[in-house]
Amino acid sequence: MSSHAAHFESDSHRHETAELGMWVFLATELMFFGPLLLGYAVGREMYGQAFAAASRHTDVVIGTINTAVLLTSSLFMALAAAAVRSDRTRMTMRCLLLTAALGVVFLVLKGFEYLSEWQEHLVPWADFRFEPRLRQGAGYFYYLYFAMTGLHALHLTIGIVASIVFALRLRVNSARALASQVGVTGLYWHFVDMIWVFLYPILYLVERHG
Amino acid sequence: MSSHPSRAFHENSYLHGGFTLWSWLTTRDHKRIALLYMISITGFFFLGGAAATIIRIELLTPQGDLVDAHTYNELFTAHGIIMVWFFLIPSIPNTLGNFLIPLMIGAREVAFPRLNLASWYIYTLGGLFVLATLLFGGVDTGWTFYTPFATLFSNSNVVLAIVGVFVVGFSSILTGLNFIVTVHRMRAPGMTWFKLPLFVWANYATSIILVLATPVLAMTLCLIAFERITRIGIFDPSLGGDPLLFQHFFWFYSHPAVYIMVLPAMGVASEIIPCFARNRIFGYRFMTYAILGIAIIGFLVWGHHMFVSGQSMYASVVFSLLSFLVAIPSAIKVFNWTATLYKGSILFASPMLYALGFVGLFTIGGLTGLFLAAAALDVHLTDTYFVIAHFHYIMVGGTVMAYLGGLHFWWPKIVGRMYPETWGRIAAVVIFVGFNLTFFPQYIAGAMGMPRRYHVYSPEYQLLNVFSSTGAGMLAIGYLLPLVYLVWAMFRGKHAPANPWQATGLEWQTASPPPKENFETIPENIPSPYDYRSRTRS
Amino acid sequence: MNARQDPVSRLVWIWLTLLVLLAVTTASAYVDLGAGNSIANLIIAAAKAALIALFFMHLRRSDATVRVAAGAALLFLFFLAFLTFGDYLTRPMHPAPWRSPQESTLNPHAV
Repeated sequence: MSSHAAHFESDSHRHETAELGMWVFLATELMFFGPLLLGYAVGREMYGQAFAAASRHTDVVIGTINTAVLLTSSLFMALAAAAVRSDRTRMTMRCLLLTAALGVVFLVLKGFEYLSEWQEHLVPWADFRFEPRLRQGAGYFYYLYFAMTGLHALHLTIGIVASIVFALRLRVNSARALASQVGVTGLYWHFVDMIWVFLYPILYLVERHG
Repeated sequence: MSSHPSRAFHENSYLHGGFTLWSWLTTRDHKRIALLYMISITGFFFLGGAAATIIRIELLTPQGDLVDAHTYNELFTAHGIIMVWFFLIPSIPNTLGNFLIPLMIGAREVAFPRLNLASWYIYTLGGLFVLATLLFGGVDTGWTFYTPFATLFSNSNVVLAIVGVFVVGFSSILTGLNFIVTVHRMRAPGMTWFKLPLFVWANYATSIILVLATPVLAMTLCLIAFERITRIGIFDPSLGGDPLLFQHFFWFYSHPAVYIMVLPAMGVASEIIPCFARNRIFGYRFMTYAILGIAIIGFLVWGHHMFVSGQSMYASVVFSLLSFLVAIPSAIKVFNWTATLYKGSILFASPMLYALGFVGLFTIGGLTGLFLAAAALDVHLTDTYFVIAHFHYIMVGGTVMAYLGGLHFWWPKIVGRMYPETWGRIAAVVIFVGFNLTFFPQYIAGAMGMPRRYHVYSPEYQLLNVFSSTGAGMLAIGYLLPLVYLVWAMFRGKHAPANPWQATGLEWQTASPPPKENFETIPENIPSPYDYRSRTRS
Repeated sequence: MNARQDPVSRLVWIWLTLLVLLAVTTASAYVDLGAGNSIANLIIAAAKAALIALFFMHLRRSDATVRVAAGAALLFLFFLAFLTFGDYLTRPMHPAPWRSPQESTLNPHAV
């Protein structure tokens, strides 16, 4: 790290630069999800009834548990960030590993969910079956469902890898040396969590009462 | 200021720290990365130009005698994709911007040097995909990838081309991110926002567009590719989707993309014109507001590409109105450049010729844009050569002229040697005349109703097309000239002093070429920008 | 990433609030509120996102530049959504002359 840190005046200058860089990156990430979210809104406008029927086929139990898992992982990530700033290397490492573990739990549960959806013929490009009257709208819904959750899972995977990498590097580096990297990984992790916070109601909860 | 750089300083220049290819390919020096980009985009510029040359030769006659319809489609698609994403968008920001922004703000580096290098590799990877597309037989959708043609009907290498554009988009995003953070966090002490050169302001605004608009294109291209592969999607009407949704997403990026191209060009003009008019730039603050205004309002006008697509009439009215609004900040800039000339002592050096050419051509392109922003008139002009002429005035007359002007202006700084001034002026004039000869007849042909994207046309348009093709030949010569003499100057030109133009700006306070760390010591006492009245030409 | 930071207890409280909000949003989905369901869901999601951003991501203590960066994407996403929906919602009102009459509704086959 020292090789390219030379052009920063101080550690705090480096932190501020990394922090702004990550926020700008998160802005691009939000725009990246934009067409999917807007495509969803347009689809719901066109196929309200089919979207509701399709949403009721999602696994709300796993979805809810997964939301709680992610929110909890965010807590541990916030604790990791707090630990790294007070130079507690081992604490940071433990929190990062717990965060990553919860991320893995999320992915495993999501995997089971995908499996059952595949068995129920809810994958729009592989023998999709749905009530004929609602088939087109439901296909639209599940296309976006897989696109959004898949993209989210990809982001989460990257977050898990980053958390593990920095946790392992804390075995040789001090918390102080990796403070910027851990802080920035945290911002990314919370952002991925925030995306899920919106995906959960729009995918799992559409007219659940019906 | 000494006119001959000391020998010791020259040895320390960024060009002398390692000559091996490896030292260039692993560099994190923003100045070297700028040169890597310059080489890449020059290659793509001439590749895109070759496609344009074949198009113009084909259009010499009304019949399709040189290429068939399918090949013609592939040619204009290749021309569009290469010129837009592999030349125009990276042109000024990634070469001149990369080289100059840290120098202009008094920094030793950009904020994220490794990311900067990664961005060039990503660009190169995207470029390889596009070259592969061309090798495997091209793509025929036009650069806009309109669905359902791109997803359902086209039999060409759509996915490969989309992957190329998708990948190069991330290069844009990372560069934009780097510039934003650099301008915010790396300015020298005392370099306040309103002391920044307008070139920095322009690239900053461009970066905002790059980071906010490009991701939307990236996702949209993913959806198009996925829809083409799986036959499932949200854009195809036969699948229950809406092709207009694609157009909304696409133009949400691609209209601001025009401002990605032209804002940095405005920045270049704003540096050159005060220098060669020996005058303070007129209305500096208004120039900065206009830059930001263009960047923001530019996001709100995309629907003017969709007036005849079947979008809501009410939406068209709103988009039309918003499009007229962009004319206001653009006009402020043109007026301020003109006012800067007033009572100046003007020197018609090559950079100035390019910059003045830019102002004139941009004005014509901008004003004809107002024709197209008028929804009713646009119904007649949509998909005619009028549109082609309009955006070439902005992108080629505007951006390419300014890019060349900037190359001449900063060439002494970049390579440490002067270019041959006479040749510079000759090329500027040849390009200006060739450009107008190429594209002005297209306005007339378009207004008469000649449609774009056909390789055959009705014989009444032939005279105009012969003019146009002749101009294109002249333009080709005009573009080859700087390629030859700028490269020649790199090795044989006479040594340049630190500040050959007696210009303001921190980049002129360091040696030509600059040392690896940009400055021996970071400048203090930052002067106010464009303080030319207090200086006299030597 | 300033020197001052939230105490651990506050982070835990935020986490508990987030879980309560999750429970509320899930429960509300099983009550028929008409359009209110979606509105409640989105408001709760926005509240959760705000808590995460302000406390977990320290936006509360970040400098102005960071806040602008965070707000910019929201603003431009709003522009995209607002103008696109401006088209969709007004499209059926006054069909363009070059649209066939059957097309004039958003999608006649949609249910």
